[in-house]
Amino acid sequence: MSQQTTREIINGIRGTKTVPGVCMICPWHCPTENFVKDGRIEYVRGNEYAANRTTRCVKGISSIHSSRDKDRLLYPMKRNSAGVHERISWDQALTEIAGRLKKIKDEFGPESLVSLFHLDSNEMFTHQLFGHLYGSPNLSGHGAACDQDRRLAALSTFAHPLPVKDYANSRFVMLWGADPFGPNEALHENRELLEAMKRGCRLIVVDPNRSRTAEKAHIWLPIKPGTDGALALAIAHRIVETQSYDKSFCDEWVHGLAEFSEHVLSNGYTPQWAEGITGIAKETIIAVADEFAATKPALMDGLKGLVNYTTGLDALRTVFALNVITGNIDGPGNLILKEMSPLGFPLEIPEEEATIPEKPPIAYGMGYPLAPDLPTQLLPKAVLEDDPYPVKALFFHVCNPAMSDPNTRLFEKMMAAVELSVTVDIYMSETAQLSEYVLPEASTYERAEVRESMWAGPQTVLAQPAIAPLGESRPYYEIIKGLAEKMGYGAYFAWDSWEDWARTCTAYLPVPYEELKEKGVWEGELRYRKYNTDGVPTSTGKFEVYSTMFEEMGYHPLPVFNEEHRVKPDADYPFQLVNCKMQYHCGTHTQNNPYLMAIVGENYVEINSLDAARLDVREGDLVEVASPHARATIRVRTSEAVQPGVARVPHGHGFGRRFGSIARGRGTHINPLFETRANPVSGGISFNECKVKITKA
Amino acid sequence: MSQYGFYFDKEKCVGCRACEVACQVWNEAVQTVKWRNVTCLTRGTYPEVAGVNASLACMHCAESPCKKACPRTAISKNEETGAVTVDRTRCVGCMLCLWTCPFGAPQMGEMGRMEKCTFCEERPVGVIKRACEEICPQQAIVSGTIEELILRSKQVAAERLSWDARTEVVLGHEEE
Repeated sequence: MSQQTTREIINGIRGTKTVPGVCMICPWHCPTENFVKDGRIEYVRGNEYAANRTTRCVKGISSIHSSRDKDRLLYPMKRNSAGVHERISWDQALTEIAGRLKKIKDEFGPESLVSLFHLDSNEMFTHQLFGHLYGSPNLSGHGAACDQDRRLAALSTFAHPLPVKDYANSRFVMLWGADPFGPNEALHENRELLEAMKRGCRLIVVDPNRSRTAEKAHIWLPIKPGTDGALALAIAHRIVETQSYDKSFCDEWVHGLAEFSEHVLSNGYTPQWAEGITGIAKETIIAVADEFAATKPALMDGLKGLVNYTTGLDALRTVFALNVITGNIDGPGNLILKEMSPLGFPLEIPEEEATIPEKPPIAYGMGYPLAPDLPTQLLPKAVLEDDPYPVKALFFHVCNPAMSDPNTRLFEKMMAAVELSVTVDIYMSETAQLSEYVLPEASTYERAEVRESMWAGPQTVLAQPAIAPLGESRPYYEIIKGLAEKMGYGAYFAWDSWEDWARTCTAYLPVPYEELKEKGVWEGELRYRKYNTDGVPTSTGKFEVYSTMFEEMGYHPLPVFNEEHRVKPDADYPFQLVNCKMQYHCGTHTQNNPYLMAIVGENYVEINSLDAARLDVREGDLVEVASPHARATIRVRTSEAVQPGVARVPHGHGFGRRFGSIARGRGTHINPLFETRANPVSGGISFNECKVKITKA
Repeated sequence: MSQYGFYFDKEKCVGCRACEVACQVWNEAVQTVKWRNVTCLTRGTYPEVAGVNASLACMHCAESPCKKACPRTAISKNEETGAVTVDRTRCVGCMLCLWTCPFGAPQMGEMGRMEKCTFCEERPVGVIKRACEEICPQQAIVSGTIEELILRSKQVAAERLSWDARTEVVLGHEEE
């Protein structure tokens, strides 16, 4: 018995077979195990060979429903002249789309295709077909609606877009506007952080909301919304003033400490100054700064609570600079500059066959040359006004900007005007409803996937199809193969099954393919302080607290606290609207899940009970939330965890959702209330730059 | 006979409810009936707020009040594991078990019969984890014999002491 793995024991009990998979609920993509019997997924859990071990979050375990959901897209559809989607054959869909893409390329150039994706699933096929072969530079993830500011801040400081966290070895963790214990993040980090805390690691959380993470913190700093940048600069001021940075590390590895020090001192970013802005007492700021500087290893990181404001980019640059000047980078217990597995592309395309775009990505022409991802909220300008150049085709892959971007009406106008729109999804999302062609994708249970996990070291996940695709749905790689054949690129897609290209992708891994297939994951060595051997790929070869990249592009090379783009509450609109995430749902694609809908069936506006009393509303009452742009009716939740003056609305529900029988009509779509506001450098959407008033409905 | 039970660490639970759903998925239960349930409580006034998240299922009590209360002798206690289970063919749904249970554990199922945690009876005890325990992201739930669990809680307390630099600590009041 003890020789058996727990997989084998479960298979013995249930008569199932284990097929390794990957969770596609959120972009952290935890490795999983699916237990299959007679073409049905019986049970799911985490992959015991991966960092998350057998664990799943509530959304992950609930996602078993998507392998059975009768409401999924089952066949290709095309919108007819009456605006109704009708079933068509795959052959018709692929022939027509391929023909029109070719025509658009001939007339307007390959740059006029924009391909957007959210979950980065099998996106290497997008890059090879629409990038290498077709030649569009406009391929982008959903970063603008997500972690755009963090990515740019990390790129400018570390020349690495996605630092991850080594909580397991940390002694001091400070999280800014990030709630890993609540909505999401890489799941193994939750366990590692709590275990580190049992060993005496300190947790400090900066968040106006008493989040799930704030609940667990030793110190919670209930900051005024959008002012994190001032707090971070004040901590920097204290560290510079007391010279408690890591001098020998800075001498060797940091570019611009002198300029950074001069900047925070001469601008008077003192704890006293920050107290008036942030609402955090100067004594507390000093105590936290001193503890951070004195404790090693330490790490500081931030996410949505910062990037949702126009002040977020500089706040994150300061937070990352604090890691760097105290020598807390890429060592055990620090932010880790994750090394990727040596994965190859699935197709071999000779260099001379690649199409080189003549125009730069549209973000350049939109005034965001440093934007890591395309600022999707600005697409309507390109489509409707040909600015900076014409965009004629939009190709969406499991991404739903109709729900997730601000200014929904403008998005609808763009979708009506664009020449060709295609959405590939497993559900009839709001973006699919507005698209001309809708192609049904096989769910994560029905397709293969080769990808990098979010563990701190290199780790490859090989997810495998556990059951046959529902209806006529197809895995993305087969959709792209079909499209490529119709476009005349069939020669490069000459594989018979997913295993052929999966072997090509994983050929460089130091593990036999069969072993990778059996376990579903391969884990490399987690190397620390890689800069010692590999250097830092910034132009100065050092970590930059004075950004040469920003300087070259004409931006301020040092982080400032600039509130000129903030939309603050006033007498007419007294509430700060916070567009937040829910612990029990993810984005816009879990609202047809019966497990999750039984936990929270609709979204709500959450306000402090003191504000509720002032407005004379009670838990469950309907209220009208109005911004200067639009209004929406929604139910109230009262909470002691919410800062007075703040109205929190989780997004994802509502919009008269048609995508499934459980989702339909539940909740309120809040995004029409937001006007399009973005960080002026990164182009990341500033969802929280919105003031509202609340009245009893 | 052994007595098995659950250890629950409130410092680790974040109220995510993955345990509730793992229980429903493994046991093929409907989405609205919860054999394991997470209760999240908060008290106080912003920003002085305190609270707890508690994931609770049947405790499989040594002296089970539900078993004593059942007029149909539908509730029995497993000789080997101490697990308390309902025989749904004998149950008539009178709910006396629920009213006597100090934890509100037995639940009315869709068919008008009581249902409750079976301690994942198909899963061999001492060999693999229960479904809730297996899925919990923070590993806040641990199953084992009562003796193992008592030992564990002592070890967890000792572990905390081992990382505390101070020579004298009042456990449970370290921050004071």
